Amino acid sequence: MTSRLLIVDDEEAILFALREYFTTLGYDVDCAREVEEAEALLSHVQYQVVMADLRLTKSHGAEGLEIIGAVRERCPWARIILLTAYGSAEVEAEARRRGADAFLYKPKPLAELARVIGELAGPVR
Amino acid sequence: MSDSLLERILEPGGLRAVFQPIFEVGVKARAADAARLPIHAVECLVRGPAGTNVESPDVLFEYARRKRAEGTVDRACAAAVLQEAAHLPGEPRVCLNVHASTLARDHEFGVFIGDVASSRGVSIDRITFEIVEHTLPGDAPSFLNALAGLRAVGASITLDHVGSGHSNYRMMLECRPNYFKVDDHFVHGAHTDFAREAVLESVVRLASRLGGRVIALGVEDDADLVAATRAGIDLVQGRALCGAVELERIAPFLEGRPAPQASEPPPA
Repeated sequence: MTSRLLIVDDEEAILFALREYFTTLGYDVDCAREVEEAEALLSHVQYQVVMADLRLTKSHGAEGLEIIGAVRERCPWARIILLTAYGSAEVEAEARRRGADAFLYKPKPLAELARVIGELAGPVR
Repeated sequence: MSDSLLERILEPGGLRAVFQPIFEVGVKARAADAARLPIHAVECLVRGPAGTNVESPDVLFEYARRKRAEGTVDRACAAAVLQEAAHLPGEPRVCLNVHASTLARDHEFGVFIGDVASSRGVSIDRITFEIVEHTLPGDAPSFLNALAGLRAVGASITLDHVGSGHSNYRMMLECRPNYFKVDDHFVHGAHTDFAREAVLESVVRLASRLGGRVIALGVEDDADLVAATRAGIDLVQGRALCGAVELERIAPFLEGRPAPQASEPPPA
């Protein structure tokens, strides 16, 4: 079975680039732009890794933290990466308290993201 | 392209219908007979915008629920499928899915469906509402009033996925459905599982006592068909006979069919 990856970001261009890159690496990739869309997918699809942006709206939200809870509830075995350009030690601590496995600051080179995902999920099958 | 996924779902052409027949069968029926069997009704199913995560109905309705737009999406789905169902040859009975919570909350849902059906030339007495639910409606009296209203204008009621989730004994008693659509969990594999077969037989007896008919959902092969008919079920639905397909593919399949038997009268 192919490793299945859910990427959550409100920027269509970022989703497009990440989907293309990780599909090329052999992952089965789903993308979501909204919290509710991600939650609906998590209710019906089993993922090995979920990578979410902290902020999914133009306002100063922290929707990525909500997604951690949804993942822990529905895919407790999935590994979670939270990405942000607006992080702080407090937010990182909160993300880890909720169950995030990695907290990364943007921008990150694609190869670095692939390395972290590979470490968390194991080799692509 | 619309910015929000919900907007994409609700925009014209965002939702599309597929259709799956419910066949009338006797004990000797086999999947290979599908082209000759009478069709009792056609279930109208919906798919979300192509290429999106909500193309799958499971994800679509989960998303709608989380956006607190279940009622709006239910209306849009019903309108979308009725628009296409109007073109089904032979004017078959059509089955529309609706959430129990929508019926409880949207007091004008029945009127809305009646208006849409009328504008499309679909008589309301051809419509069967299939009640689906993940949670019991909080406002049970409103839900039951809505069911009574639908019956009063000539529509029929199916309780979907009987035996699973909230389609339990309580819902059977409260809905008093015309049709008990037994969940595929009990149908598939019943041929070699006496426990599943016992469940099917018990639903048949219960439905008969309550004045309804049973539909076996998820008939995947001849073995399921044999098990269903052996349990006394004469209405079946499943990929062994015909999957859910677009209007263009179902239309030729429906033409020239023998007429279905008259339905049992609705329970009092």
